[in-house]
Amino acid sequence: MTWTIVVGVKQVPDAAEVGIDPDTGRLDRANAPAVMNPPDRDALEAALSIKDEVDARIVAMTMGPPMATPVLEEAIAMGCDDAVLITDRAFAGSDTWPTSLTLAKAAEKLGADIVLAGEETTDSSTGQVPPGIAAHNGWAQLTYVEAIEPRPEENRLVATRDVEGGYERVAADLPVVVAVAYGEFEPRPAGLHRKIYAENDFEPIEWTAEDLGIEDEVGLDVSPTSVGGMETVQPVERKGEVVEEIGDLADPITEVLS
Amino acid sequence: MSEQNDAGIDVEEYEDVWVFVEEHAGEVMPVSWELLAEGKKLTEKTGENLVALVIGEDLENVAEEALERGADRVLVADDPVFEPYRADPYGAQFRAMVEERKPSIVLIGGTHTGRDFAGRVAVPTHAGLTADVTEIDVDDDGLLQARRPAFGGDILATILCEEHRPQMATIRPGVFEPGESDPDADDGRTADDEAIIPVDVVVDEADTISEVLEREVGDTADITEAERIVAVGAGVEGDLGPAIELAEALDAELAASRAAVDEGWVDGSRQVGQTGKTVRPELYVALGISGAIQHIEGMNKSGTVIAVNTDPNAPIFEHADYGIVGDFADVCPELAATLADRDLTEVVQ
Repeated sequence: MTWTIVVGVKQVPDAAEVGIDPDTGRLDRANAPAVMNPPDRDALEAALSIKDEVDARIVAMTMGPPMATPVLEEAIAMGCDDAVLITDRAFAGSDTWPTSLTLAKAAEKLGADIVLAGEETTDSSTGQVPPGIAAHNGWAQLTYVEAIEPRPEENRLVATRDVEGGYERVAADLPVVVAVAYGEFEPRPAGLHRKIYAENDFEPIEWTAEDLGIEDEVGLDVSPTSVGGMETVQPVERKGEVVEEIGDLADPITEVLS
Repeated sequence: MSEQNDAGIDVEEYEDVWVFVEEHAGEVMPVSWELLAEGKKLTEKTGENLVALVIGEDLENVAEEALERGADRVLVADDPVFEPYRADPYGAQFRAMVEERKPSIVLIGGTHTGRDFAGRVAVPTHAGLTADVTEIDVDDDGLLQARRPAFGGDILATILCEEHRPQMATIRPGVFEPGESDPDADDGRTADDEAIIPVDVVVDEADTISEVLEREVGDTADITEAERIVAVGAGVEGDLGPAIELAEALDAELAASRAAVDEGWVDGSRQVGQTGKTVRPELYVALGISGAIQHIEGMNKSGTVIAVNTDPNAPIFEHADYGIVGDFADVCPELAATLADRDLTEVVQ
């Protein structure tokens, strides 16, 4: 039996390129280029490593505007078999509840046995979407995953999870949603031929909210949470004193410890 | 009288502040007591009850401690199906309790466990769930103001959940002070006024969809509880010896920035910052840490901050009380020796 592995990827501003606005001293994200959420690259690698062991077809999916297509091309270049762009103005303002519903419906429609994603995105960092996908579909979930052992003969996936102060190995029935721990799966480089194919010939499947049958269940209106306000965080006042001698450092330390 | 809003929910039906007390094999995660103390402040404003939830097996001691730490009531779901933790049984049980008893606010520690199962409650109940909250308050109408860092930490966004209930939040460990335990806190209750309430267990082992095969948890230090921290960054280039020497001289825990963890020099459980832990030691020594905003966010509740970096323009110096421009490999041994000369060993032990 061929497993269908669906990998959720997201386009985010490149955190490494987010600069400081010299006038306001605030982060300037507007000029940062858009890239694939780095933890999702680890998820792609995890999917490819499963495919190295078992018969599988990998489909990348992203929810976003058409200009998010480059992250799908990147996934195709890395070795995904196909990709889906889930795009619709109806999604505007969705919080994690309708976002995870949308991705859950898409995973179901794709016949996913395994859904993989990074542990969180670098822009909103909630980490809520992978468990949300699992919850919407009533599927098993494995988060903070550091290693994966596919068990096709048991129709299960065994994963090593990071738990605070240690680790555990958990077997989950398929279908399962897996959020991989960032930094645990070193993404493989894309091959040149795949790159050329992804950039020139590949066209993603496009789905709207209506295609998924959820046009009344997404967007700002059905999102339980809303942003009530934003405040700039005042930096903690520090003395900022740069000393020359070790003894001048030892003095304040001595004071703290006394 | 029931008055449904546009979402079809009567928010007036929902009351009380719930705090999830996370325990693994009887060991309570410290964030649980931090949340209980913070939840108490909310109920003092709303006049509601503070309710602790405990899920696991053999929970009498944990339930008693929750009362001693200020809970008005403790709901206990006690069954072998809950040990060790799994997302599906926890989620199903917690969801059933929420649907039956309708809490207004639910606070869960932003641990791996809390972040793992919170969505399995919030999704089916269509609750609002805010992640990684660092400040909470309630307004006069009982509306939770959940604040969380956004855009890398230089903005604090207030997240509201106006038309759905419960208002759920996962909260970063280490940002709030735990309250004191008072053994007399549950005095004055009568036998009819039972404070520890066993709840029906709705989960059957046969229906679970996951199985824990192996679990290894050591006694890894919890850096969120440390009084003194020596943290390393990319600038130490994998040479931990001088940092460990200084940490020993200061009786401090070793911690690290994301860069040092990604390089594999230090375990991820010791990472400070937005994607790591929030710490609040009285002394924080940053070695070879440049001072990215994501790191500063995790350590800016520290008392005195000391920075050592070869780059005089490193942003860390602006976020430190005292800094020295130099190589940590030279500074650490000399600083440790200077402190030893002052015979601080007695002070720090």
